[in-house]
Amino acid sequence: MATAPKPVDVGSDYKEKYGFFVPEDYVFKAKRGLNPDIVKEISFMKNEPEWMTKFRLRSLEIFRKKPMPNWGADLSVIDFENIFYYLRASDKQSKTWEELPADIKATYDRLGVPEAERKFLAGVSAQYESEVVYHSLQKELSAKGVIFLDTDSALREHPDLFKEYFGTVIPPADNKFSALNSAVWSGGSFIYVPKGVRVDVPLQAYFRINAENMGQFERTLIICDEGSFVHYIEGCTAPIYTTDSLHSAVVEIIVKKGARCRYTTIQNWSTNVFNLVTKRAMAYADATMEWVDGNLGSQITMKYPSVYLMEPGAKGDVLSIAFAGKGQHQDAGGKMIHVAPNTTSTITSKSISKAGGRTSYRGHIKMYPGATNSKSFVKCDALLLDDNSRSDTYPYNDVDADNVTLGHEATVSKVSDEQLFYLMSRGITRNEAETMIVNGFIEPFTKELPLEYAVELNRLIQLEMEGSVG
Amino acid sequence: MAFDVATLEHAVQGEPDWLHDRRRTALSTYERLPLPSRTDEEWRRTNLAGLDLPAYARFEQQNGHAQEQPALPKGVIFEPLAIAARRHSSLIEPLLFSLVRADRDRFSALHAAFFTGGHLLYVPDGVTIEEPILGQHFSHEGGTSVLPHTLIVAGKGSRFNYLDEYIAEGDEAEAYRSGSAEIFVGEGAEVGYVAVQKWGRNAWHLADQRARLEKDSTLKLFNVTLGARFSKTRVEASLVGPGATAELKGIYFASGEQFFDFHTLQDHQVGNTTSDLLFKGALQDVARTVYAGLIRIEKGAARSDAYQANRNLVLSDKAKATSIPMLEIDNNDVRCTHGATVGPVDPNHLFYLRSRGITEMTAKRMIVQGFFGQVLDRIPFQQARELIEAELEARLG
Repeated sequence: MATAPKPVDVGSDYKEKYGFFVPEDYVFKAKRGLNPDIVKEISFMKNEPEWMTKFRLRSLEIFRKKPMPNWGADLSVIDFENIFYYLRASDKQSKTWEELPADIKATYDRLGVPEAERKFLAGVSAQYESEVVYHSLQKELSAKGVIFLDTDSALREHPDLFKEYFGTVIPPADNKFSALNSAVWSGGSFIYVPKGVRVDVPLQAYFRINAENMGQFERTLIICDEGSFVHYIEGCTAPIYTTDSLHSAVVEIIVKKGARCRYTTIQNWSTNVFNLVTKRAMAYADATMEWVDGNLGSQITMKYPSVYLMEPGAKGDVLSIAFAGKGQHQDAGGKMIHVAPNTTSTITSKSISKAGGRTSYRGHIKMYPGATNSKSFVKCDALLLDDNSRSDTYPYNDVDADNVTLGHEATVSKVSDEQLFYLMSRGITRNEAETMIVNGFIEPFTKELPLEYAVELNRLIQLEMEGSVG
Repeated sequence: MAFDVATLEHAVQGEPDWLHDRRRTALSTYERLPLPSRTDEEWRRTNLAGLDLPAYARFEQQNGHAQEQPALPKGVIFEPLAIAARRHSSLIEPLLFSLVRADRDRFSALHAAFFTGGHLLYVPDGVTIEEPILGQHFSHEGGTSVLPHTLIVAGKGSRFNYLDEYIAEGDEAEAYRSGSAEIFVGEGAEVGYVAVQKWGRNAWHLADQRARLEKDSTLKLFNVTLGARFSKTRVEASLVGPGATAELKGIYFASGEQFFDFHTLQDHQVGNTTSDLLFKGALQDVARTVYAGLIRIEKGAARSDAYQANRNLVLSDKAKATSIPMLEIDNNDVRCTHGATVGPVDPNHLFYLRSRGITEMTAKRMIVQGFFGQVLDRIPFQQARELIEAELEARLG
């Protein structure tokens, strides 16, 4: 009945859609490439304590020794010697919206941040290039004792707290890219929520990359002290460039007894970015860690947010969506490491492939011998919008614990003809109908987002779906 | 004795040259390949420590052990493989080890180099055999290798059932066992294949069961794993013709220190094909099982329908089941569903039965029987079903 959907070239009209591109204006730009001198220079420019310089150099050694992963996406095209490892847009940190440099404000205008959101953006830590240039903490936050800084400032202002937790969740030797990040990290967010404090407003940060061949290596560290709550949101957009760009972040989270942390990501890098991110949380007794992870952009994403369930009653949750268009490979999923008894975890993954894109769910449930009476459930649904696209499911489960319950379910399907027929018989065009079905498919994800993000996401899906029918 | 050229030359006397060459090539592959390492994904959860292959380089005589069979229709060939290799070279040469490849790993190579026993069943086009064909393979002592190989060739439109039974007779010492099968299902053929593995409790068992399904053919494969201390079986079906349907079912019951490993593949190479896999296992004591299955839908394989499920009932605190169901889907016009569960007996079910005055042991047994019941209904023929039910009964005690 229907004609075959025509592939849409997601990248071709990117510039019109998200093409906020402003001329480069950097105070400092390190040379291309990676060696101990550049790492020392980064550390020197940031005026870091000696232990951090040593940490960076040690990490560089580890990075050099570690082989590239031999699984997942093809990363062989990354040329580590052809990347800028450090940039700083301006020397001074802006304190208010008005003080933001005009070109950065122009970028936000193109992003379509509405006027009404400006107040909300008072809580935004806007990242332009590797370093936070705009940062404003709402007064009530500081009154509660909440620390919300860019990671570089946190190292200067709270050295003891920083040193206690930094690198404890994801050590440099964890994997090749965490080692790289540990060597050259710059920027990112640092959050400390004291005992019993609930942060009601989601803390947000916009990330941007804006120089050709520039790597972005931000480093985020969140500590939720006992009984506290915080919701952190990172949203990414980036203009498109012709050569490949590398993004390799490390996010470490510690959720102490009875605390709850939610970390929401909407990743929409331009389709030339390699997005290789290590995200991990440690959840202690009765704590809850929730990753809400949306991957729309990038050429290749490899990202598996994980939760280590360290003490009884800890709970981990990953809700992940992935959208892969032309030339994209989203290799995403989640990991749940059950260490203690009576821990529970769920992973829900929704993926959509179209126009030759490939989505892979890759997950790992590990239950160590002590994790008695633990439960885990994984659900993966994939939607394939045309016959050029591909979807994979690789759930790895290792159970060494007694008396555990583990479930896994997955389905792969196309948009059903019945659904389409029903909607089209109501006078809805095929394209609109497909968009509605896709939006319905990812609704479990969308409904977890703050309203303005949900609206933005629906708009993005609409843009991606446009012209998908010939 | 050792797994070497001298042993090979001694064992293969009277075989045709092509087979002789093939065995020698397999032997050199065996000598060249290392044991699989735990860094290989397929072997990561499979512990080969304690396997001393050379210790089992002695063979029990299997050849010529033909079962009493019903009268077979004209044209059907059912002969020990070694004899058939001489008499029907042109039939066997292109097929033998084309599905179960000798160079896949060290164990496949060993099997291909030294296989003894096993049968060829060739059923010509359009022939139906009512009674199931039985292939029985025995082991009698420890410290030996028993490596039977079954080759089934189903002509166009043929219909029949086959049962391979691997039986240990008073054999409790360590030993090495395989028991592989290659099944060629011709256009429109309907084949039922059941393999019941009951090797001795201290045996190492590594086997491949692999089928190739042509247009509009149907295979109903049923794997039963009960024996061996270590058992690794690959069950694989390639659907190469439209309209092909593969039903792959399995049950396993692991107790004591048994370790069972299953790797399954549903390989949809063309469209309009169907595969339906269900493996159910119960574990008790300190037994461990690993199930890893893959559905692969190739690019052109539109309108494929694939289902894959693995269910594990864990009857003791110390038993561990690992389940890894995987999908690789390269076409959108498909329906693929898979699921896996690992869990203990539902305490509500147990409570209900106990409240009716049933002892805990009996209640558990009833629950296990109920758990297997659904899949036992799918055994393709009655004789196999009776055998399997009796075996389960004996083991559930």
